[in-house]
Amino acid sequence: MTIARAPQDTPGSRWTYLFLLLMLAFSAFPLYWMFVISTGDESAVSKTPPQAIPGNQLLTNLREVFTLQDVFFSAGLVNSVIVATVTTVAQLFFCSLAGFAFAKLRFKGRNALMVFVVLTLTIPNQLAVVALYILTGKLGLNGTLLAVIAPGLVTAFGVFYMRQFIVGAVPDELVEAARVDGATVTRIYRSVVLPAIRPALAVLGLLTFVATWNDFQWPLIQLQGTDYPTSMVALSDLASGNYVLYRRVLSGALVATLPLLVVLFLGGRQIVRGIMEGAVKS
Amino acid sequence: MSATGSAPPAPTRESTTEPGRGPRAPRLGWRDRALRLDVRLMPYVLISPFFLLFLAFGLFPLLFNGVVAFRTWRLDDPTLDGWAGLANFRRLFGDDAFWNALYNTSGIFILSTVPQLLLALIIASLLNRRLRAQTWFRMGALLPYVTPIVASTLVFKVVFERDHGIANWALSFLGLSSAANPIDWHATKTASWIAIATMVNWKWIGYNALLYLGAMQTVPRDVYEAAALDGASQWRQLWRITVPMIRPVVIFTVVLSTIGGLQLFTEPMLYDLNVQGATGGSGGQWQTVAQLIYKVGWKDLNLGYAAAMSWALFLIILVITLANALLTNRLGGGRK
Amino acid sequence: MQRLWSRALRAVAVGTAAVVLAACSGNSGGGSGDKIQLKINFWGDFGLTQLKPKYEALHPNIRIVLNSGEYNAQHEDLQKKLIAGSGAPDIAAIDEGFIVSFRSQSDKFVNLLDRGAAQYESKYLPWKWKLSLSPDGKTQIGLGTDVGGQAMCYRTDLFQAAGLPTSRDEVSKLWPTWPDFIRVGQQYTARTGKKFVDSATNIFNPVLSQQPVGFFSPDEKLQMDGGPKVAFDTATAVIDAGLSANLVSFQTGWDQGFVNNSFAVLACPAWMLGHIKDTAPGTNGKWDIAAIPGGGGNWGGSFLTLPKQGKHVKEAYELLEWLVQPAQQIEIFKEVGNLPSQPALYTDPALATFTNPFFSGAPVGQIFGATAMKLQPVYQGKKAGPSRVATENVLRQVEAGQLKGSEAWAEAVRQAQKAAQG
Repeated sequence: MTIARAPQDTPGSRWTYLFLLLMLAFSAFPLYWMFVISTGDESAVSKTPPQAIPGNQLLTNLREVFTLQDVFFSAGLVNSVIVATVTTVAQLFFCSLAGFAFAKLRFKGRNALMVFVVLTLTIPNQLAVVALYILTGKLGLNGTLLAVIAPGLVTAFGVFYMRQFIVGAVPDELVEAARVDGATVTRIYRSVVLPAIRPALAVLGLLTFVATWNDFQWPLIQLQGTDYPTSMVALSDLASGNYVLYRRVLSGALVATLPLLVVLFLGGRQIVRGIMEGAVKS
Repeated sequence: MSATGSAPPAPTRESTTEPGRGPRAPRLGWRDRALRLDVRLMPYVLISPFFLLFLAFGLFPLLFNGVVAFRTWRLDDPTLDGWAGLANFRRLFGDDAFWNALYNTSGIFILSTVPQLLLALIIASLLNRRLRAQTWFRMGALLPYVTPIVASTLVFKVVFERDHGIANWALSFLGLSSAANPIDWHATKTASWIAIATMVNWKWIGYNALLYLGAMQTVPRDVYEAAALDGASQWRQLWRITVPMIRPVVIFTVVLSTIGGLQLFTEPMLYDLNVQGATGGSGGQWQTVAQLIYKVGWKDLNLGYAAAMSWALFLIILVITLANALLTNRLGGGRK
Repeated sequence: MQRLWSRALRAVAVGTAAVVLAACSGNSGGGSGDKIQLKINFWGDFGLTQLKPKYEALHPNIRIVLNSGEYNAQHEDLQKKLIAGSGAPDIAAIDEGFIVSFRSQSDKFVNLLDRGAAQYESKYLPWKWKLSLSPDGKTQIGLGTDVGGQAMCYRTDLFQAAGLPTSRDEVSKLWPTWPDFIRVGQQYTARTGKKFVDSATNIFNPVLSQQPVGFFSPDEKLQMDGGPKVAFDTATAVIDAGLSANLVSFQTGWDQGFVNNSFAVLACPAWMLGHIKDTAPGTNGKWDIAAIPGGGGNWGGSFLTLPKQGKHVKEAYELLEWLVQPAQQIEIFKEVGNLPSQPALYTDPALATFTNPFFSGAPVGQIFGATAMKLQPVYQGKKAGPSRVATENVLRQVEAGQLKGSEAWAEAVRQAQKAAQG
């Protein structure tokens, strides 16, 4: 078989589609199953052959999830919204500021500091949880939402990503022109940089929101056993205890996943582009 | 997206916008003076929130963790405070729980990383064809990426139930499992590792495929056209042209999944029947190092020992990441 | 792009608002303005769901928050909060398996004797009262709720299908000893092809409770070769005879086991009745209660304590006092089976004549009242809880076929020792 074309120009064969559809089915299956169990009654989870279509018990199950006081599920959702929103806004603000400085301004130590940022990119700071916990303890923050939020406010990745984008998206001439007009740095950031980097803000914002919403270990360490967990901690509480019913657990999982499916539906193209561009840039 | 596979981005910069310290300088008015100060100082103001927060909550804990590892630091008895010397590390070497966890972590890591990256490559190469409904396929690939691991793990736990799980039901058609003699996905190392690796693979295949796809689309067409003369099949085209061309990204994904895979926490935690146990099965069949650190630190309340374990894991990750990156580099390079 | 982004934000906001609204409407009575909130931490079912609205009606300024968690996790959590100095609930339930460790930290609890609890001493089983007393005898950290007198619950429908007798007297006669019990199980399994018991751990625990000495001797030495060995051997004999459905009790597969008739008997300390009712409401009327093989034994039973960190100690004590009054104790017994630890109640007609419809009208008042009078408490030890968890985990590995015979016992000893040190 001889191919005279690049892959991009080769039309997908029947097998290509079949394989990709299989992949789609594999990706979607757990979510579908989550839906089936969370809409079913007690027996749905233990049927052979398995229950194939959703039932009509979703509201009953959800009511149970939200009225189980020990799980504080509604508080968890509210807290997750708070944590994810604050983190996202902070990331966008702080990282675009620093990214702008690194990309378009000249100052002493810039290159050295940028190398430092790049070097810390891959450090797995999850490994520092013990010391982080001691630190938040000394600050009197343990067991609070603030302790959950603080370590996520900035990331080296965010700064790096913003810098890379700003280098290409904001023409030097524009910054120069604004400067000549007597604009301050703050002004340039507001009226030149911000409008130009909206696509990057969208991508970084979406990625940050998803990652923060889904974070588990650190919120677990901080908020396990409190009345104000995040939705992930609440979900793990729902899955422990002495009466664990899968229909309940999975309807909780459904509620905790839904906001992200909405995010994917509305911002999916941006996320896809963000990830694909990340590959090129790196 | 990452440091690897790219030259340090800063040094070769051409775009700078600093007003020259020209000869005009002495005759500046207050407004110009303010502007000048603005230009001089503002960069530091702009980067300071990032650096302050990052130093406080990122770098400092990492270094301080090293200090804690050499101390006795117990949550249940704060009076037991002081330098422990190498005691925590010495205990680590004799702790079979640690070696067991390390063994589990590596096993699950191999079972998840290898299929994950291979399948991602294949899917990316298929997505790289001229396709209808491109966007839908790409967004479908991201479905697992946005799903919380906590939620998906709980679903997989139902799928891998011993008595009524779908996994066993499906395998019964292949004769691998039966109602009388079902596979107990929680009982053995092999079974539980496969179950957990399945979850990890599910989560990350699509994400890696998109990373690869992004890189594949930058491979110039003429490279393929030249090679097509040799009569290369699509499969050989993938391995002999595409993969070597996107080598930096492949290395990047290997590094990413090494770092992520060796810190595996959420899946093994929630896969347990008793979610709060952190034991990774009744006999620690699938307890990972990250899980053990959590257990030692926040259940046994021994933070000093947990810190020592974190450092050990850090070193292990460092070594394996470097080794993997080198290996991948050589593999990709050797083929071309 | 910009529009998309703001659209996304708006959608998230709207979705969140909807969820929050749904949550609030589901949580009737939430958002209590200036009410005093009393939080009770416990596990399983303490029969408080029905009592809560009653007490709140009597005391309009009080709002009770019930926090039921997983058994081991609740104790670990309490320990953590006591160390941290904050976050503990106003009222914390503690099981007998953990009480020794907590009573030795009596400075972290309100001394109930200071609040006038001494008047209740004479009402309690003497050993129950002493169990929550600090080593110097000066601080009483908790008031007893229930004791775990034992019986054997069995499914009449499944017994009938297997050609076994179904009346509780006849069934009791089938198994005076544990070897008899295993023989009956083998008959059942042979005739039906189904498993007999839910798990080996639910054999281990009742047998252990019948032994004169538990995991620890009164001088806090772990002694696996006494009671634990007997209980472990009985449990492994049940596994070897192929009787165990190998479910993990109180976990997800367990309740499916009830629904799918995966087992026919379940060892029943009094508090287990509530578990069965809550976990498998569908089996209503299919259970009955017979005597436990080997006779006697006390498995579990709890205390309600007031951690000192609580902000409303006075109100919490009032609630605690109300909960241990005979009327409430009897109501709890009727609702979830938890057997009071105040002997006068065993002869109270309201309790003594009570029959439980869920369990085919079994005279549970009589059955459990009689068991409680004969109880010989076993010393628990500070690390009894963790040691039991460790041993149970080894039993689960035996069930899964990962450990065998003497190797299993050696592993149990090793793990229990580790747990006892940790």
